Amino acid sequence: MTFPYKGYAGYYLEVDLTKGVVHKKEMEKEWARLYLGGTGVSAKILWERTTANTDPLSPENVLIVGTGPLTGAMFSPSGRMMFATRSPLTGVWAESHVGGFLGPEIKYAGFDFVIFNGRSEKPVYLFLRDGKAELIDASHLWGKETNIVATMIREEHKDPAVKVAAIGPAGENQVLYSSIIVDFYRAAGRAGLGTILGSKNVKAIAASGSLGLEAYDMEKYLEANAREMERLEDPIWTDSLASLRKYGTTDLVAVINEIGRLPTKNHWTGYFEDAEDIGPEIIAEKYRIAQEACHGCAVGCKYVIRVKGGKYQTDPVGGPEYETIMAFGSNCLNNDIESVFHLGKRCDLLGLDTISTGKSISFAMELYEKGIITKKDTDGLDLTWGNAEVQAELVEKIAKREGFGKILANGVRKAAEQIGGDAWKYAVHVKGLEASGQDPRAHQSIGLTYATNVRGADHLRSISCIEELGYPKIAADRFGEDKAEAILEIMSPKHKGEVVWDVEDLYALVDSAVICKYATMWPPVFYFDTFVNVIPALTGMEEWGNPKYVRQTAERISHLRRAFNHRLGITRKDETLPPRLLSEPMPTGPSKGGLPDLDVMLDEYYEFRGCDKETGYPKESKLKELQLEFVVDELKPLKMTR
Amino acid sequence: MKEILTIDLELCTGCRNCELACSTAHTKSFNPKRARIQILKDEVRNLIVPMVCLQCETPLCQEACPTGAIVENDHGVLYVKQETCIGCQNCVTACVYGGIAIDPQSKKAIKCDLCNGEPACVKACDYGAISVASKKPEGLHQRRKAVSPAFQTLGIQIEEAQE
Repeated sequence: MTFPYKGYAGYYLEVDLTKGVVHKKEMEKEWARLYLGGTGVSAKILWERTTANTDPLSPENVLIVGTGPLTGAMFSPSGRMMFATRSPLTGVWAESHVGGFLGPEIKYAGFDFVIFNGRSEKPVYLFLRDGKAELIDASHLWGKETNIVATMIREEHKDPAVKVAAIGPAGENQVLYSSIIVDFYRAAGRAGLGTILGSKNVKAIAASGSLGLEAYDMEKYLEANAREMERLEDPIWTDSLASLRKYGTTDLVAVINEIGRLPTKNHWTGYFEDAEDIGPEIIAEKYRIAQEACHGCAVGCKYVIRVKGGKYQTDPVGGPEYETIMAFGSNCLNNDIESVFHLGKRCDLLGLDTISTGKSISFAMELYEKGIITKKDTDGLDLTWGNAEVQAELVEKIAKREGFGKILANGVRKAAEQIGGDAWKYAVHVKGLEASGQDPRAHQSIGLTYATNVRGADHLRSISCIEELGYPKIAADRFGEDKAEAILEIMSPKHKGEVVWDVEDLYALVDSAVICKYATMWPPVFYFDTFVNVIPALTGMEEWGNPKYVRQTAERISHLRRAFNHRLGITRKDETLPPRLLSEPMPTGPSKGGLPDLDVMLDEYYEFRGCDKETGYPKESKLKELQLEFVVDELKPLKMTR
Repeated sequence: MKEILTIDLELCTGCRNCELACSTAHTKSFNPKRARIQILKDEVRNLIVPMVCLQCETPLCQEACPTGAIVENDHGVLYVKQETCIGCQNCVTACVYGGIAIDPQSKKAIKCDLCNGEPACVKACDYGAISVASKKPEGLHQRRKAVSPAFQTLGIQIEEAQE
């Protein structure tokens, strides 16, 4: 039977790199019905095709390139795509999402998913055009930086419409947190997806397509779509959206410092005295030259900068996000914004995750301050806080895995093991993933988010912005009037288990659809009802018109990802926080004295999730309710269900 | 022929929603490659060049068409009659502004027909970069202003027929 649903391209591609062949296959109906796309479908594929013994860097590991039904279907903001695999950095579930234009282009070229298996003998890149796929020799691209790769591939095909995702030298050199850069300066940054592509000898993925996509009922879909877009006009988020358009995410430097949550000095505190020097106003006034947007996006948070003169002079480049400014700026006590631009740009060209790179450097700076490492260990480099020149040198060394960079290229968890002594105390990570730019000592629910996030310490699987931005109406609408007040209290652990459970499921759909966190997370415009509104008309999957079905699908995806991690040995003891964030009270700033009440929140979260409180393992009844019998079959004999 | 599309390059973010809206209006599918408006981008040089029919006073495309497929519609706007077009691409070669292109699926020429006075792209542009202007001197000036920065960057001199 042919794949019946619209909105999808209808095909996926199996790439056997070892044999050097590609197979085009029809999409599985059940993938769409039960997992929607993106993250959900990736969870199903990774569950089936890897085991607890699959070494992330071996040819047996699988890397998935995914899109969702909304990708390229004129839903703003939906110009996105994702990658998933077993992470080389953390050893557990990894997914990374990215904007730009390649996601829609892959669908217009006729594919919803690409699954990479095996390892190519020599460097190759995958080229997709109008239902056809081929592996092309990439020997001449090996060693090249990401924007050069994209430009060269376009020239090779004499087609400026080709969109490209590429790894840089860091991915080739197996830095464990290498990124994949899509359409110039947009990164699928976290958890080492680029490292996996490098291990498989895949330099890039490129696509150009003119096949287009259909809707099941175009008129109805466009109507539903217009109704959703109207929600963006609600005055309650006018300010948040206006700020994203004017400053991009750089505005967060100011907003977050104000509440004492801006990671500073390797997460020692949440307040940076010089935040203004690296803040939104100075960037907008002195360096910003244009606004940019991903495919079909009405938000347009991207921007272009230029630095005229000085040591860090640059032609126009994509401006850094909040996380990059935080990682290299406040977190390393560096208040020279021009150097931060440079560091962010170099990471994108070399294919390094800016968060993990910045956090690995701040980790080393703290060890240097404490005398745990000295110039003898650092190739003679002076790792004093704020030394931007040394930061820049370290970025190059990490990408090349050269000298001291060889240790930092392994991320803070492994680097701490290699360095030994007390180093582990300063390694700020969960499950091996360096913490992103938040702090649970100033925002309780972040503690639970970091602890339970399937890919480790970052915000993108379940951060709740309701209490952070203060939306009483949203809190009441989603959780009831009686709970709203406690939920809005940013330092209260009350109801935060329920809130994080709820947003984790919401983002599971967001990441499967595949749409952006802006307008779903920050500000919280779209909710479960959005999917109920648009998915049936777009795809023809009638069951998606049932709110209960939609929520259940979200839960199914969340549980399958968790099960993937359980199979690899993850339990409640791993769903915790690094010592600094768990038990060192916030030393300075507006949130001074703050600490997360993690256990209380975790208990409540497991309750809502349908998991055992002692181990974090899922209840068998819950899995069966979600049609995850195949998970029960595998986890039960391992005593990983309750 | 009383109206033209003008694009303010300062406001364009290169998001291509105009392409999507155009393809939806004309082909009932999401397919930017079949859009009558095209955004050319050179990210390395930070260059965005929207390409759309300028509704010329002396339409070179019409003159170049051997089958007379480019004709006025009820609103006085030139469009390509699909049943008459033979896909020879003479019009594409003739147009110096890249305002007419070949549809990758039908292999016939397509150009902006201003959607009977309510262009889908204008409505879809969230940044207000596209507008409909009258074909009076102010509108023509606006049209020239819109194309000149890109042409200057590309090193091409342009002269407006009427000004």
